[in-house]
Amino acid sequence: MGEWIKTFKQGLSIENPLTVLMIGLCATLAVSTQVQGALFMGLAVIFVLTMSNAIISTFRKVIPTEVRIPIFIVIIASFVTIVDLTMKAFLPGVYQFLGIWIPLIVVNCIILGRAEAFAYHNKVGLAVADGLGMGVGYWFVILVLAFIRELFGTGRIAVFGSTLLTLPSGYAPPGLVLMFPGAFFIFGFMIAITRAVSERAAKRRKAVAS
Amino acid sequence: MGKSLRLVVAVVVTCVVAASGLAITYGATKDRIAEQVRLAEENSLKEVLPDATEFVDAGPDVLAAAKTAAGDVDCSAVYRAESADGVLVGWGLLVAGRGYGGPIQLVLGLDSSGKVTGVTILTMAETPGLGTKVKSEEWFLEQFKELPEGFGVEDVRKLDMVSGSTKSSRGVRSGIEAGGRIYADVLSGLSGGE
Repeated sequence: MGEWIKTFKQGLSIENPLTVLMIGLCATLAVSTQVQGALFMGLAVIFVLTMSNAIISTFRKVIPTEVRIPIFIVIIASFVTIVDLTMKAFLPGVYQFLGIWIPLIVVNCIILGRAEAFAYHNKVGLAVADGLGMGVGYWFVILVLAFIRELFGTGRIAVFGSTLLTLPSGYAPPGLVLMFPGAFFIFGFMIAITRAVSERAAKRRKAVAS
Repeated sequence: MGKSLRLVVAVVVTCVVAASGLAITYGATKDRIAEQVRLAEENSLKEVLPDATEFVDAGPDVLAAAKTAAGDVDCSAVYRAESADGVLVGWGLLVAGRGYGGPIQLVLGLDSSGKVTGVTILTMAETPGLGTKVKSEEWFLEQFKELPEGFGVEDVRKLDMVSGSTKSSRGVRSGIEAGGRIYADVLSGLSGGE
């Protein structure tokens, strides 16, 4: 159980796919202009990552090494298509915003990366923990990024048509925040803050130990 | 031989299982997806042609003629908009001009004299916050209602574009221009009586 929790936490903190491993950034920067979209993008990633990790780990002993990559891709693509069709059927508004980025989860490095680096070599329980941890870590970061970008890029946060938060009307939102360069700036700051916090924590641990 | 056979079997089995899973999902969702598409289309038609209650497909001949008139802009459907007692009140067109991120699917309402009654965007893949201003800046789509009856390209070109989304505005504009051409070439003859 301890190992399970440790694996889960790693995805959130020291191995966070976005701020530490820095993989799967393309879709993240693209959809993080809207909190509502980021919310469902994160859920889709959690689902695909956990399910594909679980399946790959279950069959890891019978999947031949030589053809593992094609098999991984078929498994991942199937789960992505399930998400794609379900979202199209039940959440057309969200689907319209996320558009091409949902099918593109197939080639998202996080999912293939975890399948190859973790699920193929570990027990099912741990693979699920890794999938959930990585997925939730991804979700958290993309939500923070989307919150900052939507709030400062449009001046308000709206989820399912209802406005949750509005900046004073005197604030003129700079379009840059919603564009890719703005995403890079904000994401850069987020990485810097993550680094500073983890370095400080490491230093403190060292001081306590000595 | 034994080994390569094993590899083939592994991949084939995976693909067969995956395909059956997808077939089940597809079967479970396809009606709802079709329904969502139809609903979105119908809502947009009602929005651009508030006077009409029935939308009847104008038939393959009209559509083929409309496609020719539209030129390089795609026209995917033409609807006769009728009032409750079956009188023609206008036309609903589905046209798609090319924007920055792909086609901008417009629903264009024209009354029987060729005046724009309304325009909405059904789907688009424009940059959120920039290209999508063609929808969020409401004056942009509203201004097409000011076009005269039987408007032409030069009338459309006089209108304003949204600053910061020139390509997306051009995409919408090309759709409207195609609507004007379709009316002039095809629909004006069918609107009769006037």
